[in-house]
Amino acid sequence: MKKYIQPLLPVLTLYIVLLGAGLSIPGLWQPIAFIMFYVVLGQALNMFLGMTGYVDFGYVAFLGLGAYGMALAFSLFTDDGLGSGIIVVGFLMAVIFSILLSMAVGAIALRLRGAYFAIATIGVSEGFKYLIEGARLWGGSEGIIISSQLRDSFGSEMANYLSTFASDILIFAIGILAAILTVYTLHTRAGYALMALREDEDAAKVMGVNVTKYKVMAFGMSAVFAGLIGASAWTLKLTYVFPEDVFNIIYTVEAIVIVMLGGAGTLAGPVVGGLIYGILRYYLATVLPGFQLLVVAPLLVLIVTVFPDGVVGYIKRKLKGSRFSKYVI
Amino acid sequence: MVLLKLEKVTKRFGGLVAVNEVSLEIKHGDSIGIVGPNGSGKTTLFNLISGVYMPDEGRIFLEDQDITELPAFKRAPLGIARSFQIPRPFRSATVRENVAVGAMFGAHGEKMSVDEAMSIADHYIDLVGLGDKRLELADKLTAVEKKLLELARALAMKPKLLLLDEVVAGMNPNDVDKIVSLIKKIKEEEKIAAVAMVEHVIPAVMKFAERVMVMNEGKKMVEGATMEVLKMKEVAEVYFGTSQTIGESGDARG
Amino acid sequence: MVFFEQLAGNLLYGIILGAVYGLATMGLSQIFGVLKIVNVGHGAFIMVGAYVAYWMFVLYSVNPILSIPVALVIGLALGLGIFYIVIRRLIGAPELASLLATFGIGIFIEEVAKFFWGPDHRGFSWNIGQVDFGITLIPNTKLLAFFSSVIIALILYMLFQRTRIGAAIRAVVEDREGAMVCGIDVSRIYAMSFGIGIAMTVIGGILLTLFIPVGINPYMGGEYTLKAFVIAVLGGLGSPWGAFIGGFIFGLLENGSYTILGLIPGVEPFSLTRFVAFSALLVILLVKPTGLMGGE
Repeated sequence: MKKYIQPLLPVLTLYIVLLGAGLSIPGLWQPIAFIMFYVVLGQALNMFLGMTGYVDFGYVAFLGLGAYGMALAFSLFTDDGLGSGIIVVGFLMAVIFSILLSMAVGAIALRLRGAYFAIATIGVSEGFKYLIEGARLWGGSEGIIISSQLRDSFGSEMANYLSTFASDILIFAIGILAAILTVYTLHTRAGYALMALREDEDAAKVMGVNVTKYKVMAFGMSAVFAGLIGASAWTLKLTYVFPEDVFNIIYTVEAIVIVMLGGAGTLAGPVVGGLIYGILRYYLATVLPGFQLLVVAPLLVLIVTVFPDGVVGYIKRKLKGSRFSKYVI
Repeated sequence: MVLLKLEKVTKRFGGLVAVNEVSLEIKHGDSIGIVGPNGSGKTTLFNLISGVYMPDEGRIFLEDQDITELPAFKRAPLGIARSFQIPRPFRSATVRENVAVGAMFGAHGEKMSVDEAMSIADHYIDLVGLGDKRLELADKLTAVEKKLLELARALAMKPKLLLLDEVVAGMNPNDVDKIVSLIKKIKEEEKIAAVAMVEHVIPAVMKFAERVMVMNEGKKMVEGATMEVLKMKEVAEVYFGTSQTIGESGDARG
Repeated sequence: MVFFEQLAGNLLYGIILGAVYGLATMGLSQIFGVLKIVNVGHGAFIMVGAYVAYWMFVLYSVNPILSIPVALVIGLALGLGIFYIVIRRLIGAPELASLLATFGIGIFIEEVAKFFWGPDHRGFSWNIGQVDFGITLIPNTKLLAFFSSVIIALILYMLFQRTRIGAAIRAVVEDREGAMVCGIDVSRIYAMSFGIGIAMTVIGGILLTLFIPVGINPYMGGEYTLKAFVIAVLGGLGSPWGAFIGGFIFGLLENGSYTILGLIPGVEPFSLTRFVAFSALLVILLVKPTGLMGGE
């Protein structure tokens, strides 16, 4: 048990501090929720990019499909008398949608090597946007608006509470769940298999690691968390889903930057990366509205060329062998 | 009893035939050396046996089971382990973690837990003499230590057939002697059914192998008892282009 | 049959556009073939080409065909600059690093374009008549784009087959270490290949403006990155000539499927065609990841 709890301590402490500060200091809840979105987004992508070293350029599609899963639950089943249970159906649909996509893309592309996989994912999010718009699927380019269904299911007061507060709490919960699952994975056979295939896929294969199996597993896990984030942070919080927004490549870029900045494949990396990035992004939104990527893109290039280990990766290397090393994984 | 059987195995890369209709039997108890000049197909042969490549023609059997089409990761649990010519450690992991991966996914069986794998790893790390480096990151090791790590990692897989690709290349003669004795000792102690060694360092082959196969231009040239084969004039010509025999010169690098 | 006439017309159009697609993809394959780097930001350089065509036309009344030398110079400068600042450091680094870096570079170029020129769609019209092929009318500008693409591809072919630098590049593609032993300055070959690859892409972007009347905007490249990857994989990633042929195949596929999708009521064939491109990529990777033209 100890080996799981020790590395979780710094991460959970940070969550508690953020949660406490947000709840007790007036005006701080919104910015903290904003930052937490990035922290959890990073954690979700880290499960795939960090663990396998594979990059999915269409990652936002999982958030998008999660958002649609939740929205569809409301637009299809509001009248079925599910009451507030509809939210469970929504999350279930979000999870199913993202798993299905991860299986479809993963089954084909994860048999391939890194570069080919990356190429295969380049069109995924745009492809979905065009499918939804082109086939006028799920409301086409007009999207789905669920504010009235939310009111019908929960009453207007509860609906308001859900979109302004509970959806943010859900993000915290998803983050904690992601952290626990990450620590657990890192300590299992799967964790070692993923480390091996990330470092040297051929060597891993020869040593008996079924690399495709573990890649698909990590991809699916990462997709599920992305779907949950999309369902909470977008559909429940904003009460609408537009294809232009939820398949926007900017979130893929941001998630990658967070993972690389913090340290790919580490537990604390995406948390630290998300924290730094979230604060930077909050600030950028005021000084350079609409041009965040102008700063973020060169940042990404800089990180991968001169600082590929990321903050936590660097600290972890420094601490190797010291008694603090068990707190940073 | 035959452990591994190659039947007319061929591998082509574009127009180049890297391995050309090679047949070979490795029996339980064998210590076999595979020699030949650079580019003669030795490493490709190992890649075919371990499943890195699939052959274009021919069949491969492990104890009567046809493994020709079997992917690499399914061969390891059957008891095939190999080292790489240029060591390929998992660089961000410790020595212990590197070796533990071998124990976890090798031939010990599906249920090997992480903790068990770690203690198995410790055993092999001690065996190859890397005991005091166990918590070191793999990329901090010296070249020779990385070779030893390759060896430990392959041993931890509990192989029946151990394929060693130039483990002693680049070592000084003292180390060569030590490693070869170590491998012989390990083969006995760990009950490894057979060890095949691709090697340029002829003294190592002479000391280790009872049998050698000489390869040239992808083909099997000759196979037989080590000393007899190495004394053959044809073999020397392949190596040196002269009729001086390898047995006399004692070494044949490059 | 109106439908078949329409299909034939669109397929002819597909061949003409396909030549430009092919040229616009050759750089991607060239860079992968030599440097083993996948330029994920490929489309951004097409966008740069499109803006070169636009500004040359609007500011100096220079038509896109005559702007090709300008694109060549800008493309080379851009390519060499990026090579020496970033790419040089990524040779031999894990694949992930080069994938992310080229991705970041592409986005950065898009954002710079947006910063200076705004997010609006722009376009220009250059009209020099048209040719009646019976089944369809093709504007002369598009025919010019077609012939320019074919000629540039041929020039490149000569450059590769007949010159010393071409021979050196081929040597590096086949055997990096061997080329080094033979005294070839491999890092210079990398730089040149990257520069030429980017220049070809920028030129491709120029010619593409003749097919998109008002489609020039900072984010136009994303679509072409996707198309380029479909084409490059079709042609066997790493082979510029495969890519050129792949361009024709893709042009036919795209315009053929556009005609057929148009028959389905209630869909937007234009958006769906883009979905087809993405699906095609997955299918090709599933069936033959090394490309239809590529060997093993």
